Amino acid sequence: MIKIKNLCKQFGKNEVLKDISLNIKQGEVVAIIGPSGSGKSTLLRCVNNLETATSGEVWFKEQEVTGKKADIQKIRTKIGMVFQHFHLFPHMTVLENVTYAPKTVNGISKTEAESSAKELLSKVGLSEKAEEYPGRLSGGQKQRVAIARALAMNPEVMLFDEPTSALDPEMVKEVLDVMKSLAQSGMTMAIVTHEMGFAREVADRVLFLDEGVLVEDASPQAFFTAPKSERAKTFLQKVL
Amino acid sequence: MIKNNKWMLLVLTAVMLTGWFAQGFLSEAPNASAKEKHNKTLVMGTSADYAPYEYIDTAKSNEIIGFDIDLARHIADELGYNLVIKDMDFNGLIPALDSGRVDFVMAGMTPNKERKEKVDFTKVYYSAQQLIVTKDENIKSIEDLKGKKLGVQLGSIQEKEAIKIKKKVKNVKVEKRNKIPDLVQELQTKRIDAAIIEDGVAVEYLNQNSKLKAFVIPDTGSAGSAVALPKGSDLTEKFNSEIDKMKENGELDKYVKKWFKIEKSENEKKDAAAIDFSVVWSSLDFILYGVITTLKFVAVSIVLGFLLGSLLALMKISKTAPLRWFADAYTSIFRGTPLILQLLIIYFATPQLTDYEISAFLAGVLTFGLNSAAYISEIIRAGISAVDKGQREASLALGIPYSSMMRQIILPQALKNILPALMNEFITLTKESAIIAVIGAMDIMRRAQIVGADTYRYFEPLIIAGLIYYVMVMGLTVLGRKLERRMSRGD
Ligand SMILES: Nc1ncnc2c1ncn2[C@@H]1O[C@H](COP(=O)(O)OP(=O)(O)OP(=O)(O)O)[C@@H](O)[C@H]1O
Ligand SMILES: [Mg+2]
Repeated sequence: MIKIKNLCKQFGKNEVLKDISLNIKQGEVVAIIGPSGSGKSTLLRCVNNLETATSGEVWFKEQEVTGKKADIQKIRTKIGMVFQHFHLFPHMTVLENVTYAPKTVNGISKTEAESSAKELLSKVGLSEKAEEYPGRLSGGQKQRVAIARALAMNPEVMLFDEPTSALDPEMVKEVLDVMKSLAQSGMTMAIVTHEMGFAREVADRVLFLDEGVLVEDASPQAFFTAPKSERAKTFLQKVL
Repeated sequence: MIKNNKWMLLVLTAVMLTGWFAQGFLSEAPNASAKEKHNKTLVMGTSADYAPYEYIDTAKSNEIIGFDIDLARHIADELGYNLVIKDMDFNGLIPALDSGRVDFVMAGMTPNKERKEKVDFTKVYYSAQQLIVTKDENIKSIEDLKGKKLGVQLGSIQEKEAIKIKKKVKNVKVEKRNKIPDLVQELQTKRIDAAIIEDGVAVEYLNQNSKLKAFVIPDTGSAGSAVALPKGSDLTEKFNSEIDKMKENGELDKYVKKWFKIEKSENEKKDAAAIDFSVVWSSLDFILYGVITTLKFVAVSIVLGFLLGSLLALMKISKTAPLRWFADAYTSIFRGTPLILQLLIIYFATPQLTDYEISAFLAGVLTFGLNSAAYISEIIRAGISAVDKGQREASLALGIPYSSMMRQIILPQALKNILPALMNEFITLTKESAIIAVIGAMDIMRRAQIVGADTYRYFEPLIIAGLIYYVMVMGLTVLGRKLERRMSRGD
């Protein structure tokens, strides 16, 4: 589903990603972990070209995201993204937030968009908040709306960048539960997270990034019980 | 969809408003004369704040009347033309003639060397005497002006007279003002000691105020009024022969008697109170009509400024460098030069460069629209960059096209933040709109000035105009607060 070949990314002289290659297969759930500043967000953002790769290739199915002729806008509709700070549209109601892109981008009728939006909202447990403005929701509720908003475009992949890092502890679970059921439904997912328990339980694979280098690419079982690299060992000691 | 519709509606309303107003002022442009007696038309330029030569009896009508007007009608009729009268600032008359905006000028204008270099004059049709008008009992001859402040109208023949006096008498300080009513007001408040005003004009002021005294300046030479025409115009000779005819058959004398006779007897003279609204009361309607002009003007300027400003703001944040340069240069030019200068350039240069006779209203709207676009673009640019970067990223990640993102995600949020600043800009625009009076647009300010000239009262019309502006600004402020409250319902 996603192929990354020899990806490098620099911000000025700062080499943030160094020669990263990896594949994510359809239906796979991949957790990306690593210390702060190691390039996790940047890697994720290169997938839908929010950051443009300095060199190397990123492929989404048969299309090269990094290609000159790539229809990025079209590709992005198939790649959902959820941000740490939600980024809901504050001047739209929850329902409008979820229906806006399908209506504007895919040209879906209002009624159709709203009925599928309501379905999604009930999936994330927020049916009764449809007419609310984001300003009146809790963090956990906001993030669930953001997930529904991304899902409304019927994406084939979902990217999550620390979806629970900005939440109060008591709200983390409600978001992780939604993500868990999404994973169970067979969605392809790449998740940057500091929730090690979640990564261990839900992910099919764990990618460990340090200083822009993909240090480990292993099953959660292998990674959490017997990390191969020194760096991963130190990291795990700190966080577990 | 709700938001989508709102924007559509806003743009639609804007377009319709612009269209509607455009229609309004285009049809208003030339004073279409009611009676199309002849099939040719002459456009006369004048400055209707110089009674009794040309002024508006504001208590009665909107029509410009006076000695020059009667004369012009008579001559035009004899020559087989309809007459259309255009009112503007006195200082704008020669440029208007130059740029072909008017065919001839009658405004109690005296031929002098500078003017003769630019335009042709007919022979003098009426010679006035120049008076020294003063409140000071001790000023009885020009020698008494030693060390005094002497006021004259800017660009007038009296200015030349003042320079002559200055050569003869020591220490005379010449003060220049735009209009005769300004001079009289300065006399009243003793900011100047004396003023040079010609007899026909001074009569009314002397009648109104017994404290004002006057005496004739000796040897004023052949100062007199003549018709100004473009250089080399073949109308000049025709005007001359008509003036000769009128002098012979006594028509001219009839008009002189009609307009320059001193009507009031000594006991009718009254000293007007310092502030007396009863005098201008009957002219209130006349000033209030200016509200329509000012409102139209402000509304069209705001719409134009806002649309253009949004466009410029988008250019400023675009990735294309030339667009950014253009928008930055535009802003820097319009912010870096005086508004009134921009107004005069657009008003006077357009006909010269393009052959298009831009109306005062259109020139005003264009200037204010272009000018406020510069300020609004800065406000909007700041507003856009204050919108959380995440909004843009979330939109991009959803594959939302740039234009939709701007119109429906970024701008609505920016707008909410910048509403107070925008409202401020609109209020400034409303108040500053008063300067279109300079090019003769009949807005509140110009009308107040005309009433001032007609009633020989200075303060009252200005106070009324001030009140009207204040009410309009308050209206805008209330509207702004309502809008703000409305837009913040999401929080
Ligand atoms: N737009 C940018 N311009 C310049 N440098 C950037 C930019 N974005 C990220 N960086 C730098 O790239 C490096 C990696 O950043 P990135 O956000 O990918 O790290 P991360 O692994 O997501 O960290 P965290 O866990 O704190 O989110 C950091 O050193 C950061 O300062
Ligand atoms: Mg990050």
